Amino acid sequence: MTAQSVFTWGAFVLYSAAAFAALGYLSTKDERASRAMLGLLGFGLALHALGFAARLAAFWAFPENRFFLPLTSFYGALSFMSLALAAAFFFIEARARLGILGAFVLPFAALALGAAVALASPDVGPLAQPLRSYWLNLHPMLLMAAYAAFANAFGVGVALLIQEAQIKSRKPSELCYRLPSLDELDALNGRIIAWAYPVLVAGLAMGFVWAYLDWGRVWTGDPKMALALATAAIYAVFLWLRYGAGRRGRRTVYVSLAGFASVLVTFFGAELMRGRHSYLGGPR
Amino acid sequence: MKLLQLGWSHRAAASDAREALAAVPIERVLAELKARGVAEAVAVSTCNRFELYAASSREASPSRESLLEVLAGLAGAEVEAQAEARADARAVEHLFSVASGLDSLVVGESEILGQVKTAYETARSAGLTGKRLNVLFQRALYVGKKVRSETGVAAGAMSVPSVAIQLAESIFGRLDGKSALILGAGAMAELAAKRLVERGIGRLTVANRTWERAYALAARFSGEAVRWEAFPEELVRADVLIASTGAPTAVVTRATVERALSRRGGRSLFLIDIAMPRDVEESVHALDGVFLYRLEDLESIVAKNLSSRAEAMAAARGIVEAKAREFDAWARSLATGRELSLRHASRTRP
Repeated sequence: MTAQSVFTWGAFVLYSAAAFAALGYLSTKDERASRAMLGLLGFGLALHALGFAARLAAFWAFPENRFFLPLTSFYGALSFMSLALAAAFFFIEARARLGILGAFVLPFAALALGAAVALASPDVGPLAQPLRSYWLNLHPMLLMAAYAAFANAFGVGVALLIQEAQIKSRKPSELCYRLPSLDELDALNGRIIAWAYPVLVAGLAMGFVWAYLDWGRVWTGDPKMALALATAAIYAVFLWLRYGAGRRGRRTVYVSLAGFASVLVTFFGAELMRGRHSYLGGPR
Repeated sequence: MKLLQLGWSHRAAASDAREALAAVPIERVLAELKARGVAEAVAVSTCNRFELYAASSREASPSRESLLEVLAGLAGAEVEAQAEARADARAVEHLFSVASGLDSLVVGESEILGQVKTAYETARSAGLTGKRLNVLFQRALYVGKKVRSETGVAAGAMSVPSVAIQLAESIFGRLDGKSALILGAGAMAELAAKRLVERGIGRLTVANRTWERAYALAARFSGEAVRWEAFPEELVRADVLIASTGAPTAVVTRATVERALSRRGGRSLFLIDIAMPRDVEESVHALDGVFLYRLEDLESIVAKNLSSRAEAMAAARGIVEAKAREFDAWARSLATGRELSLRHASRTRP
């Protein structure tokens, strides 16, 4: 095992443990579980960062790869996304004393990294000629950062639906008093998406510029491009409903959840369709 | 070590000794004890209890009688008959359960933890705490926090108004900046208004068929009174509505609420109907973003909380007893010269 896979496996184990601690906190209100979650997550992030650094070193061992980020393989993309997701959670929600939302967010970080370490190959090789472009450092990184933020918003949205159902039932359980209030969840969901949306749009725009420079056309009919545009459209509808039409609550949150479903389809579903963006079949 | 506790609490049948002691400033009690040569003493004085903890390492520790004599002198009253007295392990366990809120009138209330801390700090700055009481009280604060964070004793509201407030906070978060509309001006409306103001509600409006009564109620809580006819308009601004009128039929109809909703910008609306017969049409609960709770809904939540508190208290007692045994073992080890370690003792910062 290389240092990279030791660190990354370690991070996966710690993220999983943090996710379980968060679920434990949700069901027992034992403050120790909440502190354990933050501690495990902090160590996990540190290990993950070391793993990423080791991967970077291995990737840059090929002189032609120097200073490009290793995001072009499934492993690299999933691992980076998991890192961004966990870091975003650590700095936004845990800081905002909404650590209880870890139960809804951290399982994604653990799953994404688990898929990377268990299913994808961590091997690195020289980048294919067309990918040796500085756009490579910007285009996927921005998109994955936006996706990580959307995953956080998804967790918040699910928590909101649970809280709403609790209060509507007239028989709220303990969970109701532990979750943040509906207003806070609604505001946080909206705010995360409003911040992440420009990042998504910038990432897509750079993809189009890169496509134009490289392939001579902006639109190539690539399935991943189409799906990513659909994602952007769904979140645009959400933002318009939330901030334009002044709508809040359950139905608006459904739209944001649909947006995240579209993110997942864009990220994983595109593998099933042939296109230039396929991690498994495309150029490395 | 010899630890002695004397207490006068809300549990006692008569309260005149407690009241006489409560009138004596703690500083005077401590100064008097110090003058009599007591090495370590902390006095906890709140509206529900007066307690004295005294400790010393020598066998010549203050006797129960001498402490009672000092207190009787200061209070200018006979205090002995109503006193509870505990020693050593039982005194430790008692202090831990006091700090945990298990001995409080409202079980689990958190104010007592701050009061124990203040009592300890006062004694410490008077130079009346040594190793034993320092560790004992830091330990008590630690146990108090531990019990509250690990068991449900402090959670769960035990009365209809507090359940209503808790639900409002589950919907809106903090209540400052939120506005409440009260329909009716009877005793229930007044109680509701009082609770909302205590929780820092931003704006309070009262509407009642009799304008004068609405005005009087609003004035008492620096709220605003509006004419009865104007309440549907107020519903556009309100976040919480409390209805307790004596009207024979529902006054808040689905149509009224729907009209208000279209102008509320998607904000949630929390309706509390404590009137009998009902003031709010049941069907509004089905509207998106509207939460209607009736008196019996709130009452059944209270009943559920009461039963789960009983379980939480058993768990809390378990923690208190275990920690008291741990402390007692440590206190005994002091005399042997081979001091046991007491984990977490230093973690609770005063």
